Amino acid sequence: MVKYKIVFERDVCIGAASCVAVAPTVWELDNENKAVLKDGNKTGDPNIFEKEIDEKDLQLNLDAARACPVNAIHIVEKETGKKLI
Amino acid sequence: MTSFEELTTKERPTWCPGCGNWGILTALKKAIAELNLPKHQVVVVAGIGCSGHLPQWINTFGFHSLHGRSLPVAQAIKLANHELNVIAVGGDGDGYGIGIGHFIHAMRRNVDITYIVHDNQIYGLTTGQASPTSEKGFKSKSTPHGLIEPPVNPISLALAADCSFVARGFAGDVPHLVKLITQAVQHKGFALVDVLQPCITFNYLNTFEYFYRKVYKLEEDKNYDPTNKVEAFKRSLEWGERIPIGLFYKEERKTYEDELPQLSKAPLVKQKIDNVNIDNLFEEMC
Repeated sequence: MVKYKIVFERDVCIGAASCVAVAPTVWELDNENKAVLKDGNKTGDPNIFEKEIDEKDLQLNLDAARACPVNAIHIVEKETGKKLI
Repeated sequence: MTSFEELTTKERPTWCPGCGNWGILTALKKAIAELNLPKHQVVVVAGIGCSGHLPQWINTFGFHSLHGRSLPVAQAIKLANHELNVIAVGGDGDGYGIGIGHFIHAMRRNVDITYIVHDNQIYGLTTGQASPTSEKGFKSKSTPHGLIEPPVNPISLALAADCSFVARGFAGDVPHLVKLITQAVQHKGFALVDVLQPCITFNYLNTFEYFYRKVYKLEEDKNYDPTNKVEAFKRSLEWGERIPIGLFYKEERKTYEDELPQLSKAPLVKQKIDNVNIDNLFEEMC
């Protein structure tokens, strides 16, 4: 059951690549040297991308979010909308 | 095969989200995984400070030592069993303040260990006092009117102390830092990796943005020769609008262990001691 989602603010990203190092299955860098959320969904805001994740992937994605030096990655509890990071 | 995931502990770091320490831990785990070092042959030794918690969050052997004392412990471990990969970590307050004597002597001794310094230019764990690498004029809780003395320059100091591998990384460029740590661990001799590590909570001057604007990679200058000590010293003095990162200097010379005949056949830990009698020594000392 999907309980969480990753919310990524691409315009905040500075390309430190910490997320790619922590969770290469979820993140990659593009040719602008900015992070790309693999299979991320577009939202109404062209700079915001989202992706739903299962509980089993929560810890890895929390690590990636904490490793981001500019806090461009957020983890949100879907049901409550509570921002964990 | 040692994977990044295997090196990740169940307990997660308590560092502030966004802290440069995350980038260093990530880079260190990536480097160990890329070098495929068996976990049981790696020891990470720390001093005191935010960085000092690092051994708790990497799944290798670890030792959390005293303030400024990561290098004596790391050297002792290496001399007891020189087959181990020994990596010491610490902060700028830890290593360039109270531990600076150990730092200088470990470098000239050239014990084969890697020393990663989380250089955030502030005492972060104690909530923001000026450290040995804080910039002149820096205002902090301990220097409300601005810091009077100029900072320690760890790169220049290392070159002057005959360090055989001198590098500087940036916590905001993890792939580059992985390369530096990988080279440092592979180097035979003492390897310093000073890492620009913004403290996002207490240092409002030396931020990620500050360093992103200023850092450039030495290896991008095709004319730069990291075996030229004079050129390395010149670059080490560069700190302003441009700040160099990368490998400043490297030389091959014998390690301390190489020069110890007692270690020539086997590590101390594997040698028999049943023919050693220390009773006389005890009697003399008592």
